[in-house]
Amino acid sequence: MNTLLEIKNLKINFKTFEGEKQALDIEHLQLGRGETLGLVGESGAGKTVLALAVLGLLPAGQSVIHSGEIRFDGEDLLQKSRRELEENYRGRRIAMIFQDPMSTLNPVFTVGQQLGNVIQRHRGLKGADLKNASIQTLELVRLSDAESALQKYPHELSGGQRQRVIIAIALSCGAELLIADEPTRNLDVTIQAGILKLMDELQKTLGLSVLFIANNMGLVNVICKHIGVLYRGKVVELGPSRAVIENHKHPYTEALISAIPREKSEKLKFAAASLRSETKRGCPYYARCPLAVESCLEQNPNLIPISDGHRAACILLREGGGR
Amino acid sequence: MKSFDEFLLVFKPQWREFQQSLYLFNRNHLQFASLMVVLLLVLIAIFAPWIAPYPTHILEETNVQDKLLAPSTQYWFGTDELGRDMFSRVLYGTRISLVTALIAVFISLCIRIPLGAVAGTLGGFVDEVIMRLTDIFLSFPPLLLSIAIAAFLGPSLQNAIAAIVISWWPWYTRLIRGQAVSIRERQFVRAALSIGTPRSKIIFNHVLPNTIAPVIVQASMDIGGVILTIAALSFLGLGAQAPTPEWGLLISTSRTYFLNAWWYSTFPGLAIIVTVLAFNLIGDGIREVLDPKTRKI
Amino acid sequence: MIKFILRRLMLGVIVLFGVVVITFVIARVVPSDPAAKWVGPRATPEQIAKATVDLGLDQPVYVQFWKYLAALAQGDLGYSLRTHQPILSELEATIPPTLELVTLSTLAAVIAGIPLGVVSAQKKDQTLDHLSRLFSIGVVSLPTFWIGLVLQLIFFRLLDILPMGGQLSMGIQLTMDVPTVTGFITVDSLLAGNLEVFFDALKHLVLPGFTIAVYPVGLVARMTRSALLEIMNEDYITAARSYGLPETRVVWSYALKNSLGPTATVVALSIGFTLVNTFLTESIFAWPGIGNYIVSAVVGLDYPAIIGVTIFSTISYVILNLAADIIVATDPRVRV
Repeated sequence: MNTLLEIKNLKINFKTFEGEKQALDIEHLQLGRGETLGLVGESGAGKTVLALAVLGLLPAGQSVIHSGEIRFDGEDLLQKSRRELEENYRGRRIAMIFQDPMSTLNPVFTVGQQLGNVIQRHRGLKGADLKNASIQTLELVRLSDAESALQKYPHELSGGQRQRVIIAIALSCGAELLIADEPTRNLDVTIQAGILKLMDELQKTLGLSVLFIANNMGLVNVICKHIGVLYRGKVVELGPSRAVIENHKHPYTEALISAIPREKSEKLKFAAASLRSETKRGCPYYARCPLAVESCLEQNPNLIPISDGHRAACILLREGGGR
Repeated sequence: MKSFDEFLLVFKPQWREFQQSLYLFNRNHLQFASLMVVLLLVLIAIFAPWIAPYPTHILEETNVQDKLLAPSTQYWFGTDELGRDMFSRVLYGTRISLVTALIAVFISLCIRIPLGAVAGTLGGFVDEVIMRLTDIFLSFPPLLLSIAIAAFLGPSLQNAIAAIVISWWPWYTRLIRGQAVSIRERQFVRAALSIGTPRSKIIFNHVLPNTIAPVIVQASMDIGGVILTIAALSFLGLGAQAPTPEWGLLISTSRTYFLNAWWYSTFPGLAIIVTVLAFNLIGDGIREVLDPKTRKI
Repeated sequence: MIKFILRRLMLGVIVLFGVVVITFVIARVVPSDPAAKWVGPRATPEQIAKATVDLGLDQPVYVQFWKYLAALAQGDLGYSLRTHQPILSELEATIPPTLELVTLSTLAAVIAGIPLGVVSAQKKDQTLDHLSRLFSIGVVSLPTFWIGLVLQLIFFRLLDILPMGGQLSMGIQLTMDVPTVTGFITVDSLLAGNLEVFFDALKHLVLPGFTIAVYPVGLVARMTRSALLEIMNEDYITAARSYGLPETRVVWSYALKNSLGPTATVVALSIGFTLVNTFLTESIFAWPGIGNYIVSAVVGLDYPAIIGVTIFSTISYVILNLAADIIVATDPRVRV
């Protein structure tokens, strides 16, 4: 497999008034060219932190990157200067789509200005060429009446249209890696489906590598070949989508899957908010885990191989997946 | 209060937030330093007559043989045209400025809070009248109204305070009204209304307690501005009158002599700056800490 | 948009009416005898009685108020109690010098204050930000009148390179023909090509100009910083960065354009402050403007003059706020 993005031993902490708190602790995560990886977890699990870290956009002063590498096409992005990132990576090779289409577009510039600025920046086009390229990009995301959309301000567009514009801006300069941070979270269900379909198609036609972030197993399953489950900054289960969904091993993954609403599901299971008080040592899921035993407090479990590419972090598991 | 546990349940998050705010505030050394300066100023204000090296020079006593002397080990800040020790007078000025500012802020709070709370809670016609009234007051350029009122009332420190109160009350009446309106829309107030609680009781039990925190913050930010305004009024001859050693008045009197006695205008001015700056830094720090939009942990 | 402006203008008229009422009431509630002021300190009781009738002070207050309003509607502000001149013509003479100061300080506020605020926000919590914050809070903590005195001490007494006050040197004022077109001596002399007057006027402008500009520069810098900091937390700023747009562009274009509304409001506010700060500055620098005029009116309890200046200042303030509102309304998000 030709690896595009590889994350090793990444440890990121947040500064709080009670000292530093762990935000992300990833041993190893990789994404091949043209592959799709879905990251699932509840809010606060560190998904967005990971996305911003890849682009070097974590707010300085509030977060500390303690160690690790983020290798993109072999180069460690953490060693790049801001200028290098701005010129060669952000928007050009790595693009990101944000959660909220309502607030991701700048309200005081027209679509044409915002799209044009990015195309001009990375492709150096001007005048009529710039306009044609803008229209082409908007047509790529199936925005109806692309030419008139260029003149519009974001508030004149609907949520779905805005998200299409945002995708257009992200993909306007030939990005290889697309990071999508819950791109459908604030959209109506019917529009969600359209955007997901569009992303799926674009991924296939453009051969994009996609890091898809969501809080919901169902969404990720639609788009991604691989799934990683994040809990409190740690990957607790990772593997091919099918294996993770059908043969999930970690109790948290189970909770996530049972939360997918299904037709006539005999009973909806809920992940209990908290069964025990939070602890600092041991397994991060200890407080909420229905299967927890005393020994869970002894160490933070490592990922244990279950089958080809499928791994989960739970001390109750033995290699091969038996309990 | 039914039990201590219940008390903890209610106040623990607030206590935590307070600790957090304190941490954020003190993380900035400048703000911490200004807090210390303000404490020092308060001490000076309280003990001014006792720590002044020449307590009799504070008011009328003259000492003409020492007039307009440059700063020396005997007179740290020099002397004025009547030979009075400037250091003692400036020191005592702290008390005047802090006390007048506190009075002015306190009285204007006494107008703002009830008016804002009533306007926000009752709404309708009362609200409309009060708000249009604040509109009118707010459309005077700041300070102009104070000057005009002080001019008409006649020059004295009390009238300067009155002038400031009259022109300052509208500034945060809106803030309190906004707060009251948002509280009125809360579920617990609706619930109280639905079971027939009188609206006066709602103002006292729900609206006022919830406006106290933002009001205290605003008041602390106001003090610097009020001190400056009083000094400006006194400078124009509309505030404190001789022989009160009010800083603005000292600077005003110095105008006859300052070209040959630099210390006369300089030290009262520095006193104003240190005081106002300390209060403004604190106010700015509090705002930064409490503003959820810029609050960063 | 036009409807919006008309509505705001209507509100402005109502506000002005309120201002007139308030100033009139305050002037009348106060125990002082305008008629005695009118005839001067050595007048006989008969003269005072005659002046009372002449000035209409024997009539009921509401009649006086009505007459005042009627005159006001025709642009008549009454007569000064001290000089017996029409207040309107006195204002006409004193407004241009004041406007010269106000224009200068507003330019400074925009040219220096906005960039300072932007840089400060950009470098939040770094040394540059701390310095600029200290500066901007520092200058709003300075008593304007004190800065004036200190500047006079340094540049007039100590260094002797700038004049102490006035708009022109005595010699030039008496011997040269000072042109008047706009009322700004610096501009007029430049237009007339009279460089000697121009440089003299410029020299006189430096100290009062600096004194008055310090406050608005600090205020605008401070407000721009806080408006910008709020905006820098928005998703569209992070998004703009993720597109690889250069940081300078993100800050100076993407963020700054969004802070236009608050910035315009604060510039308008700072002009209002400046207008009043001229009261203090002009009296220190003997600048023949409206500030100096109102200070002597206040000292002489010349209440028609005080009301006149108050009304003028309030009109300017209302217009400024209207202008700021219109700028805010050009924001595509705001539906008027």
